[in-house]
Amino acid sequence: MTDKAVISARGLTMGFGGQTLMEGLNFDIHSGEIFIILGGSGCGKSTLLKHLVGLYKPMAGKITVAGMPLDPDDENGFKRILARIGVMYQGGALFSSMTLGENVALPITEYSKLKGRAVEELVSLKLRQVGLEGFEHHLPEELSGGMKKRAAIARALALNPEILFLDEPSAGLDPVSSAELDALILRLNRTLGTTFVVVTHELSSIFTIAQRIIMLDKKTKSIIAEGDPRQLRDAGEHPFVRQFFNRQPEMEK
Amino acid sequence: MKNDQDMSPSLSINAAPGTLSLSLRGELDLRTTPEVLERLASIGEPLPKAIRADLSGITRMDDCGALVILRIRELARAHGCELELTGIPDHVRDLLSFLRLDTPPRSSGVKRPKSGIMTRFGAKTMNVVDQAVSHVSFVGEVCVTLASLLRHPGRLRLGDTVQYMQRVGVDALPIVGLISFLLGLIMAFMSAVQLQQFGANIYVASLVALAMVRELGPIMTAILVAGRSGSAFAAEIGTMKVSEEVDALITMGFKPAMFLVAPKIIASVLVVPLLAMYSNLFAIAGGLLIGVTTLDLTVNAYMAQTMSTLSIFDVNWGLFKSAIFAVLIATVGCFKGYQVRGGAASVGQATTSAVVTGIFLVILVDSILAVILRYWRP
Repeated sequence: MTDKAVISARGLTMGFGGQTLMEGLNFDIHSGEIFIILGGSGCGKSTLLKHLVGLYKPMAGKITVAGMPLDPDDENGFKRILARIGVMYQGGALFSSMTLGENVALPITEYSKLKGRAVEELVSLKLRQVGLEGFEHHLPEELSGGMKKRAAIARALALNPEILFLDEPSAGLDPVSSAELDALILRLNRTLGTTFVVVTHELSSIFTIAQRIIMLDKKTKSIIAEGDPRQLRDAGEHPFVRQFFNRQPEMEK
Repeated sequence: MKNDQDMSPSLSINAAPGTLSLSLRGELDLRTTPEVLERLASIGEPLPKAIRADLSGITRMDDCGALVILRIRELARAHGCELELTGIPDHVRDLLSFLRLDTPPRSSGVKRPKSGIMTRFGAKTMNVVDQAVSHVSFVGEVCVTLASLLRHPGRLRLGDTVQYMQRVGVDALPIVGLISFLLGLIMAFMSAVQLQQFGANIYVASLVALAMVRELGPIMTAILVAGRSGSAFAAEIGTMKVSEEVDALITMGFKPAMFLVAPKIIASVLVVPLLAMYSNLFAIAGGLLIGVTTLDLTVNAYMAQTMSTLSIFDVNWGLFKSAIFAVLIATVGCFKGYQVRGGAASVGQATTSAVVTGIFLVILVDSILAVILRYWRP
């Protein structure tokens, strides 16, 4: 790994109200890689993601994004970081008062010089990439859960950010859309060099897209595995890691 | 991948006789595309028969850059020119086929097109009818639920009811007390100026007591409760609807009217009359303060005048009205919450509507009751 790290966490401790979830996390995410955060339910994967985009403040430790320290209080620095990232939230988080088209068009009209028809065409192209072309006029409430998810990805893609954070992108998608989504991620990663930070549980998707993973553990509040998922599945030292990749239940030991 | 060569201009136009040569270079992304599109749009009208576009210089292109290709194709088609794309790099070819750019995006705008005035008129009318129907069925459901509570009082969720009594009643004590006190104070102060001219200082006590107990106490309390609790009911139930919690209740075999609505209505009916009494008390205290400090009345005289003015009927009438207002506010709040469809914006509308409709109904019913009282007890 000679690439420089676009995101690095040093001694990151996170938690709420005196209760720590994770302690002293150290990891780097390299430029242009697909990085997956794994772990059992409730271990703090989504919380970690929200720390990495500056929504939550760490209890201790430092995060740097693209060489700049992540500090939401520093307005200008934070703005520069936000311009380089896109986030897709677990529930979609589409604005319910806007149509799908308006949702996707919002960042484009706000942060680029494109105007009028070009914006509309670009929105259609974005929606086409996630298989939702023709749904520009639909309100989020008129869509199924999987469609909302894909629309949220289209919105996160709107400005083609350098780093994309996806929180459970394929949960609730049918296998075909899920595979298409994996293909989209790989494509964007290959052609535009987009760095992906993904939280997911889908094993098939992990093995298809992941270049490197970290696995969080609730009990030890730390990273228990890091590296290539295929190697970890076959030769992981930690029992939970093998259980996870081979889908073995905890009680049947 | 990111060798920062001189990227401007990304497009060079060369108009040789017979052919228009376009050459695209460097990165074509969100930063550079707007300028390229503008320059393409400004190409002069008489176009030659053929357009040649050289794409070999493109180092990086994203879906935004694909718009440029799209626009060049359109240009050629619109003017009946022959178009030749040359030197397409592999990554561009890959992108174009991925975006299926041969079928241009069917963009019909991102905004939902507005339908015609007749269509909207019809839709609104149907909406009003729908609302009326659902309102009637909601009121019916609530009545049935409350009636069934008379037979099976055990079905009421007592814990919730007590909690709502606290939220609607106890938590409102400071604001109701303060506003009523000031109201009584202002009333006494303003009327004193007039009544003093006739030496009728003592009637300030009568005025404050009668106005508050019969009318203003219940109304002020109702308006405050509509603002504090009617809105909260609508927001709570509305949010539960958005997050499918109401659906979960139904499939678990609970009746939303029993689970969500009955505790709110019963709690309101129990505490709002008490709040109104409390409001009367503070208003009279406010009047008393003015009477004693500026009108040279004694505490004794003021209170005696108050007691002799008020009949027990006035007090009961005020309490009765408060109970009716409480039912109206709680029912409207819950109903508006039920009407929520979609997302956050809808919850906001429901909350506003709950307060506005609640206050309107309170004033309306108060007027009707005033007329009834006028003929019942002349």
